[in-house]
Amino acid sequence: MRLEPAIPADALAKIRAPFAEASAAPTDAPVLQPLALLLDLAGEAMRSRLFVVQGEGGDEAALRPDFTIPIARVHIDTLAKAGRYFYEGKAFRVSPPGADRAEEFLQIGLEAYGGKDRIADDAEVAALAWRAAQAGGRKDLSLLLGDVSLFSAFVDSLKLEPRLTVRLKRAFSRPRLLKAELEGRELGAEAGRIAGLLSGLPEDEAVRVLEEVWALAGIEPVGGRSAADIAHRLVERAEAARGAKLTEAQADRIRGFLAISDTPDKALAAIGKLSGGMSKALDGWSQRLKAMAERGADPKRMRLSASFGRAFGYYDGMLFEVRSAALAEDEPVAAGGRYDGLPARLGGKANAAVGCMVRPARAYAGGKS
Amino acid sequence: MSGPLIFAIPSKGRLKEQVEAWLTDAGFKLEMAGGARGYRATLKGLPGLEVRLLSASDIAANVDSGEVHIGVTGEDLLRERGEGLDERVMLLRPLGFGRADLVVAAPKSWIDVETMADLDEVAHLHLVRTGRRMRVATKYLAQTRAFFAAHGIGDYRIVESGGATEGAPASGAAELIVDITTTGATLAANNLKILSDGVILKSEAQLAASLTARWTKPQLAAVERLLSMVEARARAKRAATLTWPAEQDKKAAPVAAKLVKNGASRRANGLLVAEADLLDARQVLADAGVGPVTAARPDYVFEPQSDAANRLMTEIGAPRR
Repeated sequence: MRLEPAIPADALAKIRAPFAEASAAPTDAPVLQPLALLLDLAGEAMRSRLFVVQGEGGDEAALRPDFTIPIARVHIDTLAKAGRYFYEGKAFRVSPPGADRAEEFLQIGLEAYGGKDRIADDAEVAALAWRAAQAGGRKDLSLLLGDVSLFSAFVDSLKLEPRLTVRLKRAFSRPRLLKAELEGRELGAEAGRIAGLLSGLPEDEAVRVLEEVWALAGIEPVGGRSAADIAHRLVERAEAARGAKLTEAQADRIRGFLAISDTPDKALAAIGKLSGGMSKALDGWSQRLKAMAERGADPKRMRLSASFGRAFGYYDGMLFEVRSAALAEDEPVAAGGRYDGLPARLGGKANAAVGCMVRPARAYAGGKS
Repeated sequence: MSGPLIFAIPSKGRLKEQVEAWLTDAGFKLEMAGGARGYRATLKGLPGLEVRLLSASDIAANVDSGEVHIGVTGEDLLRERGEGLDERVMLLRPLGFGRADLVVAAPKSWIDVETMADLDEVAHLHLVRTGRRMRVATKYLAQTRAFFAAHGIGDYRIVESGGATEGAPASGAAELIVDITTTGATLAANNLKILSDGVILKSEAQLAASLTARWTKPQLAAVERLLSMVEARARAKRAATLTWPAEQDKKAAPVAAKLVKNGASRRANGLLVAEADLLDARQVLADAGVGPVTAARPDYVFEPQSDAANRLMTEIGAPRR
């Protein structure tokens, strides 16, 4: 098992220093996390990266692959509305086959919950990650920015038919689905005969007929979806097939949006030109960028990419990575973002959550990567 | 790893019976060491070979890791060993038994779900609505992950099932399953149906060779002997020999030449034909007035080379000894 190269204490202190100014409580979180929870929130793709452990007679657990969920759970247990937490400790990920990565590595980071000024907090956290990464001594860093909510704002600005709008927004994180929508295709097979018949009925009648069909065919409904769920989907699909589709011009605008990747000012200008008017989101970004620059993030090293972060688990707002030209694209020096929806899924009340982490061994320029 | 060729076969169940029958039919007798319940054996007719009896999944693991040279086990168990299997294991020969399909099965009551694309949408809606991922019960983690990823589905998670996977949706432990099925009867009895594009693998018993084991020349030679016999026996079952009186050979020659063009092979006063062509061959010979024609089935049809053995030797390269 590969370990990280050791970092001299003074170099580590320099990387840690920006976090001391962030008014966050130093916090520890359990190394062992429930496996089911991690997989539920991060998906099956995470399983092959997890070190899974099990005590005799106990539930399966995993060594924390990062601190986001562990710290979120700590915060939720305090029952406080807001909280800011600073952490420093080891995390564990199985190296991908063929790659020779350290499987036990140090992370330093910050998570903030319940903050009232989202734009200010976003900027603070991104700039913090940037300054900490820079403190490691590398001269080839860049900051890649994205925003999972920009696509929704863009689609809203096109003022499409409501159902189409909902479908497009849902499709952002699923490339196949989005491609099908843009090409005017429907994914999924032709409905079977019964399904086809049901989708032509008013919804409550469809539910009754479906239940009768099940009874006649001797089908026991298992798997937790009710007749209402199924009838609803059938009816909705039929309506979608009959309803508005994207025109070629609209599809082009969306494709244009997804292709935007440039310095932040140019990217925002391009988005503004293509959109039907999304001043709120764009102004928000201007403010964010201004605040980031004030806090020491270098605008000349930034890039804003409209499609960055499409499939990234639980982020639902701004997200970013600090990358070094000397390292691979999937070895970020620092990363973070906003994940307002996550605390609720963990049973918490906070609806604002943002954080960042740095990997000191990657930031440190003096050692081998 | 000099010494005998290590050949692993299943230690229990129907697969063990089928493998023993296949070996016996090919002309090799399995002789157990240490009594009928032992775990070591030899093959009478093939010296330089040691048989080990292991569970089907241990065989897959051992062929993968190079602990044994060759083994018979289900392709489903081999593929479950994970990515890059073909670099570590060579499938020498499908054996025609132990057939079963690895499938994705959903509740029959989900009449709006016929394909993996439907599943993708339903899983996503489920996640958005309930905040939890749809659960798939299975023992086949690696193949399930690869198949779902290939179909672009991410909004699910696997719950490992120890025993009766098909019961998981009814007991509320999962919404879907990925499991091995032969007739589909168990699935139907559990109110499940196979998705139209949900067949992950059409599996059967395979004779597989380890590309990670250390091979010597004598060990490769033993594999070639085994394969040659097995292949010759299989060819024989699909072939028939026709023979006619020696003095009619000239009369039969043009008919024979035509049949050779269609894949038959010439013998003295006769032909070796594919069994499927037997009736047609008999007919054209009769039409030419050739007779009486005797037909018999050969015991073995040997070819000078075994393609499978050649493939293995090419992959292994040249062992030093």
